[in-house]
Parts: sequence; structure tokens; C-alpha cells
Amino acid sequence: MKKGLKLSDVLVTIVIAVAFGIIYILWGSIYYFAKPLGLHVDQLIYGMWFIAGPVAFLILRKPGVALLAEIAAASGEFFLGSPWGLTVLLYGVVQGLFAELVFMVFRYKKFNMSVAVLAAIASCLGSVLMDFAYGEIGALSTWNLSLFMIARFIGSVFFAGLTAYYLVKVLETTGVTNLVRPVSSKDYAELDQK
Amino acid sequence: MTVTNAETWLYKINPSLKLFVLMVLCIVALFIDDLNYMINVTMGVLLIFLCFTGHSIKRIILLSIPFSFIFISTSLAMIFFGKGETLWFEWGLISITEESFMRGLLVGFRALLFAALGLTFSLTTRPVNLFYSLMQQVKLKPKYAYSFMAALRLIPIMMQEFQTIRNAMKVRGFERGTGVKSIYFKIKAYSIPLLSGSIRRAHRIAVAMEAKRFTDTRDRTYYYDFGFSKYDQGFILYFIILLLAGFFLSIQFPLVSI
Amino acid sequence: MEQIISVEKLRMKFPGEESMIFKDLSISFGKGEKVLLLGPSGCGKSTLLQVLSGLIPNSIEVPLKGEKLKCPSSWGYVFQDPDSQFCMPFADEEIAFVLENLSVPKQEMKEKIQHHLHQVGLNLGAIHTSIDTLSGGMKQRLAIASVLALEPEVLFLDEPTAMLDPEGTKEMWELLKEVGRDKTVIVVEHKIDHVLEFIDRIVLFNDEGQIIADGPKDTILSRYKNEMKEHGIWFPGVWDEYVKNHAPVRKQPFTDDVPLIQVQDFSGFRNKEEKIKVNELQVTSGEWIVIRGENGAGKSTLLHALMQFIKTSGTYALMGTPIKRVENPTEHMTFVFQNPEFQFVANTVYEEIAYSLRIDKRPQQEINERVRSLLKVFRLEAHWGKHPFQLSMGQKRRLSVAASIVKDKKLILLDEPTFGQDSKNTFALLKWLEVYRSRGVTVIMVTHDDHISKNFATRILTVQDGNVIRDEKVIQPGCMEPKFLNIKGVSCR
Ligand SMILES: Nc1ncnc2c1ncn2[C@@H]1O[C@H](COP(=O)(O)OP(=O)(O)OP(=O)(O)O)[C@@H](O)[C@H]1O
Ligand SMILES: Nc1ncnc2c1ncn2[C@@H]1O[C@H](COP(=O)(O)OP(=O)(O)OP(=O)(O)O)[C@@H](O)[C@H]1O
Ligand SMILES: [Mg+2]
Ligand SMILES: [Mg+2]
Repeated sequence: MKKGLKLSDVLVTIVIAVAFGIIYILWGSIYYFAKPLGLHVDQLIYGMWFIAGPVAFLILRKPGVALLAEIAAASGEFFLGSPWGLTVLLYGVVQGLFAELVFMVFRYKKFNMSVAVLAAIASCLGSVLMDFAYGEIGALSTWNLSLFMIARFIGSVFFAGLTAYYLVKVLETTGVTNLVRPVSSKDYAELDQK
Repeated sequence: MTVTNAETWLYKINPSLKLFVLMVLCIVALFIDDLNYMINVTMGVLLIFLCFTGHSIKRIILLSIPFSFIFISTSLAMIFFGKGETLWFEWGLISITEESFMRGLLVGFRALLFAALGLTFSLTTRPVNLFYSLMQQVKLKPKYAYSFMAALRLIPIMMQEFQTIRNAMKVRGFERGTGVKSIYFKIKAYSIPLLSGSIRRAHRIAVAMEAKRFTDTRDRTYYYDFGFSKYDQGFILYFIILLLAGFFLSIQFPLVSI
Repeated sequence: MEQIISVEKLRMKFPGEESMIFKDLSISFGKGEKVLLLGPSGCGKSTLLQVLSGLIPNSIEVPLKGEKLKCPSSWGYVFQDPDSQFCMPFADEEIAFVLENLSVPKQEMKEKIQHHLHQVGLNLGAIHTSIDTLSGGMKQRLAIASVLALEPEVLFLDEPTAMLDPEGTKEMWELLKEVGRDKTVIVVEHKIDHVLEFIDRIVLFNDEGQIIADGPKDTILSRYKNEMKEHGIWFPGVWDEYVKNHAPVRKQPFTDDVPLIQVQDFSGFRNKEEKIKVNELQVTSGEWIVIRGENGAGKSTLLHALMQFIKTSGTYALMGTPIKRVENPTEHMTFVFQNPEFQFVANTVYEEIAYSLRIDKRPQQEINERVRSLLKVFRLEAHWGKHPFQLSMGQKRRLSVAASIVKDKKLILLDEPTFGQDSKNTFALLKWLEVYRSRGVTVIMVTHDDHISKNFATRILTVQDGNVIRDEKVIQPGCMEPKFLNIKGVSCR
């Protein structure tokens, strides 16, 4: 962990994030299809907007990556003309920060499913806090608010937790993760044979 | 976005400053609780958005469609389900009260404001300019700035790649089939190569950048230089006046009585 | 001579691979030397170049050790893949990026950018041109221009002209001769025609990445001809020898009742701009059509138009049916992309080739047999488990061809299938295509290699500025049995 992230770490993180930024934008329209269904069905898919952080962290396994990824994804979304405008940036920072905190608590040493799910829940918490400040939900009637929260948490666990985890699992089979993770000492040792 | 359009005065504002001002405005808007004030400020921002981005009316209208959606849906949720005392209407789970109605409008206008600010910015600012300016004015580390620029360059390549994967799939005989399973298969077939390809490409570009002697120091020269001009003062002034005048008008001539 | 680059007893191994790519390799280079590294595709030339420059392990982490590793301090590197070495969206900004890294004052930049673009013969309308709209060859020139902007002492060139047209290749080497006069230059290149005038020392590698010869150009070329032949390395006169030792290829297209392809007033569009125009073209089965033309002329665009990847206008009939009404055009034709990476969809080399067969739900045994035979023809057996992106450039190219032709089609379109290939693999591919052609398959191929046009083509189309300006038949058509498209069970040996 010398001197923070290398250029290639930063670039890879940002590219992953920007790819998700594009998905985030497309997700916006799905979100609006779900919204008229009422009863917060839309909140079930809200969790997708937290996925960049966990994915980037699980791929690179380095400190700071989750936060950077969420911010970058939000910026990408913003530049491509998100209808939410600057809000996405504010939300991105908070969501990324909350996910990052979870990985930090585990000292950046855990890469399993539980930690991904925890990070997803943390991001969700962050977004709910933002929603209160933004004024969207504080004044909802209680039954409606609970429904809202439950839907969003379930969605987060599914998208940002489980989906992120399995996505990275599949990516690992393509061998691309070896490129960005540190080389094991075993590989160095093999040079000494014969 | 590479759409040819007239470069208005909004293009000449220092990108960092523009971003900063708009951010501040967003945060200020979070604390505006008065509907009249909110409407006034939103109108002031919409004026800029509609008249000064230099894009054609057709494009502006097209871009405004999702806005209106956001406005309506955000407001409606609050109007229908919000808490309140003075009941106007009730039907099943839906209850509209005066408070929820006003609050709904407030939230709707806030969403509209954010959207207009965001689009105004992204329509009038080239990302490359923003990152150069961020390096010069905000001292953003070049490592991050150039990574962002490289990543943004990769967006069209990713789109092209998406197209190419589609073509490749066509060549290999893969377009048939519907149903959930095939959709799942398709999503996987597109997303994994796209993502892993992008990561590899990103890595290679990082290597190429280092081969071109890129180092993360701030003492470098810049191809584009950004400073401040009278446009920046005008820009700031506009919003100060907007906030003050909006406040004054909301008290003197309220549009909605609360 | 002062040595500025040297490695001793270099050992290196890619993580997860079984064997080392270099084992106790020693080599050194003196100041001002011009050296050509020659070796079969996949022997490790690109990798070695990266080690010599210090990119491995400084920027790319790969386990390696050596008794001495001395890298130069001022160097420039032209990568093999022109597409992923740019980090900025516009041509001028890309060169400016280099100048910024060197802290060149802003006032001098414009002029320098213009100078370097001019130097490599990249005459853009305006220097502020989007890189995405450049053709493959134009991108490679830009890559060289941005490296020249570094004003390096040592130049590492990894097949810098692989995608250039013959004229461009010649110009490029003349240019490099000019700018490289007082530099140390280390080159990897398969097409050696023009490089030879430029270099003075040759290092030969075998398949295992060992050095089999190292010395002055003339000595190597005269004494090691057999070794070069054995390892499939291009040397002057390979083609003549090939033509001498192989019975002249029969060039007899078939006569069809209905032409395979028939187009009229046909245009292909990119971003709503017409980029290729064909007044009239008829293609029958068994033809081998070579499309040639300068970089950016519209060759790739023509193939894309025929494949219907882009918007087209005019009439276009495939076997008599208008293309719009052909239900699945790709059932009848297949395509090899110019950039091989663009078409990889699977995670291993094996699965990449098996892909189309799996979609067709062919029995496992048949899949296995076919894939294995193709792996063998294209010399990829040893790499079947790798991810396609981990292959060397030439291997990628071969894989992309293998994956596209695994199913029998009537029409094969190939966009520069032989670039970056050693002679062994080039001839293997050409021979293989010829077998198919002689059974009625039509081959349409973009290539800059005039030897192919001369020895294999039955017809040559020349494209210039988006127009087909010439259409020459190399021999009289119509001497064989008509339409035998039954090509099941073609053996590839
Ligand atoms: N990241 C990697 N992981 C595993 N194997 C690799 C990796 N990169 C390259 N290889 C393998 O190392 C060998 C040498 O590759 P390299 O790119 O150096 O070949 P090359 O001599 O430049 O060939 P070409 O002429 O085709 O470009 C190849 O067999 C390739 O498959
Ligand atoms: N995706 C694209 N968008 C816009 N213009 C493009 C695109 N691809 C190519 N062009 C333009 O179309 C023209 C023809 O390009 P094309 O790739 O067909 O050339 P080519 O003959 O294949 O050249 P090369 O030998 O370099 O591969 C060029 O002027 C190029 O700038
Ligand atoms: Mg190579
Ligand atoms: Mg081409």
C-alpha cells in the first residue's frame, strides 16, 4: 500500500465506473417504468445505483477504490446528461463513502459475499440519509415510508451485494483480475526452479 | 457530446467555477423550504437553460422530456402519500392533504432545478476542459484528471465495441431466442466481454501513458489554460441576484398562498 | 561501444502459466545500434521489448528476475495495437499530452504538434480531429507522431507498420531512418522488406524464445537462411521460394447461374456520411477477391457494408434475394474483423472457436474434433486454455480467423487476416483458404500484401477515396463445374 493508487489502478477503476455510469443512465428509464406501478416497486431496483463501488473494490481489492468508483460513476452519469443533474454527484459521494467505510472496517482484507452485502446496505443507508435531506421521504406517512425502506434495502442487497459479487466471480474466470491484482510470491518463487 | 452548436457566453465561464457555483446552488436549494421562493429560483435557472446553452430548441425540448417525468413522478409520490392535516381528498391508500400537496410541488421543483442545473452544465462544458481547469484551479491530481479523460475517451469505444460484439454475435449466429433465460444469457454474453475488455484496455492505456512519460507531478505545462474573466463575475452575479430577487419577490408577490 | 541496454540471465514467467517465457536470456545493445528482432509469432518479441524498456515490471507487474537489468532513461515505445495507446479524444490533444509531460511551454505546442503530424505524413484537415474517426493506418501514424514528440534516445518499435499500406510502410521506414539516425532503435517486425535498409544487426529467436543467432545483418541473412525457413521467419525471397516449390495455384472461379453477390449503386454510410460507393459488382462462387487501397480508402467500410453492419443504400442481392429479405445473412457469410480483439466473446481460446458450434447445438464430439483440427492448423494448441486477450498479436489474429470460419459458409470476408503473421502461419492460412476456394467458397479479403494479390487472387478491386476505381480479373472465369458448395468434411492439411 505504498503511496496510494497507481495510475493503472485509478484508470481501471474509473473505466469500470464509467461503464457503470452508462448502465446507471439506462437504469433511469427502467426506474421510470417501474415508478407508475406505485407502492415503491421502483425502490426494488434502486440498489443498482450502488453497484460500482463494490464491483470495483472486489476487482482491485485496494483502499479508496470503492469511493473513487462511485464518484466516477456518478460523474460519468452526470456528463452523459442524467435527468437528475447534479444530485447524482452528491449522492455518489455519500454512497461511495459509506461503502468504503465498510471495506475499511474490514481493513481491506475481506472480499467475500458478506462484505459486499454489508457495503451495499451501507450505501443504501447513505442514500436514505440523503433522501431525508433532499426532502423526498421525511414527510411520507409511516406505512408508506417503511414499505419504501424495505424495498430499497432488499434491492440493494440483491443488486449491489449479490449481483456485484457474482459479476466479479464471473470476471475472475476471464483472468482479467490477475492483471490488476498484485502478483503472488509463489509466482516469483517458481522462477528459481531448475 | 459532439453536437455542433453555437458557443454562448456560458461556454466561456471557467469550468471549475461553473461547477462550483452550480454545486453551491444545489446545496442552497436543499435548504429552501418555501415553495414560492423555490419556484422563482427554478424559473431563473430554467431561463438560462432554455435560452443560453446554444443548442437548438428541438434538442432542448427533447432533453426536457425526462425532466418533466421527474417533476411529475417526484411530486405525485409526495402528493398522494405524504403526511398532512388538512385533508382535501381520500381514496384507498391515497390521501391528498394541503401540506402534502405543497410539499409535493416543492420537491418537484427542487428536482427540476437540479436537473436544469446539471444539464446546463453538461451541455456547455467539454469534459476535457473541465478536467484541465480542475487541475489548474482546484489542484486536482493529474493522475485522476487524465484517468477521467482517458475513460471518457473510452465511452465511444465502448459503444462501438458494444456494436461490434453485436456484429460478432451476428457473425457467429446468435440473435435468436427470447424468454427470460435467453435474456439472462444475452446480458451475460454482452456485459462480461465488454467489462473485461474495457478493463484490459484501460490497463493498456495506463501502460501507454506511463510509456509516454506521464508522472503524477503537478509541475507540468498545459495545452489548455484556464483563467477567470468578466463572464465569471457576471455568472456569479446572476445567481446572487436571482437568489435575492427571488426571495424578495416570493414575499412581495407570492404565486401560491400557503 | 557503450552499452545502454542490457539484460543478463533473464527469467520470466507469466502468472499461472506452466513454463517460463524466457529462461536465462542474455542480450545487450549498444548506443546508436539499429537492431531487428526476428522470430516466429508468439516467441516473445513484444514481451522482450517491454522488458528492455522497463515497462515490465515497472508498469506491468510480471514475475521476473535477472542478474543485470539495465534500461535506458530516455525512450519511446510504439505499441503493437494502435487502438489502445491513446488517452485523449483528439489528435492534437494526444500529442499535447506528451508535450505536457515534458513540460514544453504552451506557446510552442501548436507548432510542435503540427511538425510531428507532418513528420509522419498524417495530413488531417484540422489538427483538432477526433481520433475515433481515423482509419487503422492513420491511427498508427498518430501513435508514431506522439512517440517522436518525446524526442527519445532509444526507440522501441513493435511492428509499427503492421497496418500501413505499402506506400505508407516505405515512407514510414524512410522517415524512421531520418529521425532515428542518431538514436538507438530496436524493432520487431515481420514484414522485413523495407526495414532491412535501416538496420544493421539482427537477432533471431526460435519458438521457445531462445536466441539462435545474433550478428550483423548480412552475416545473418546469408548464413541462417535455413534456420529462418525452419522457424517460419520471413526473409527476402520467401515468396519466390514458395511459388517455386508449390505448383502454381489454380485460379478458376466457378460460373453460377445466379451470382452469389450482386450490387448496384451501392453505398455504405458512417455517421450518415457516404464512405464507400460501388457502382456495380458481381461476385460468383469460387472467386478470391483481393481489395486493396490506401489507408482510410474505405476497404473495411466496404466489407462492413457487405456484412450489413452499417447503413447502406442501393441494391444488394445475396444469391438472388435482396439482402433485406434474406432471413439470416450470416448463415451464408462470415467475417474476420480488422481488429481481432473486437470479436472475442469467450473466455478461452478453445471456447472462442467452439462458440458458433455450441450455439448450433452440435454434438460435443464433433465440436471437439473441429476445434482441435483448427487449433492445429492455426498453431494454437499450446494456448487453448488462455484468455484470447493474453495471446500475442499474431496468435490473436489467427484465433479470430479460426473462430470465424469454424462453420462452413459460402462466403468468407477477411479484413487484413495476415498482418503481423510469420511466414509459416501466413502460408498455412492461405493454403487453407485456397482449399476452400477450390471447392466453391468465395473469399473476399482486404490486404496490403501484393504477393497475395499476385499469387492467390482471381480478381483485384482497388478502392480509392471511398470509390471502387478498378476491378481487374486476374484470369478468365468459367472453366470448372458450376456451384459445388458441398464442402462438408474438408480436411485442412
Ligand atoms: N498476459 C499473458 N499471460 C499469459 N501468457 C501471455 C501473456 N502475454 C503474452 N503471453 C504469451 O507469451 C508468448 C509471447 O507473446 P508475445 O506477445 O511476446 O509474442 P510475439 O513474439 O510478440 O508474437 P507476435 O509476433 O505474434 O506479436 C505468447 O505465446 C503469448 O501467448
Ligand atoms: N467508426 C467510424 N466513424 C466515422 N468515420 C469512420 C469510422 N471508421 C472509419 N471512418 C472513416 O471512414 C473512412 C474509411 O475508413 P476504413 O476504415 O474503411 O479505411 P480502410 O481502407 O479500411 O483503411 P485501413 O487500411 O487503415 O484499415 C476513413 O476516412 C475513416 O476516417
Ligand atoms: Mg508481438
Ligand atoms: Mg481497414
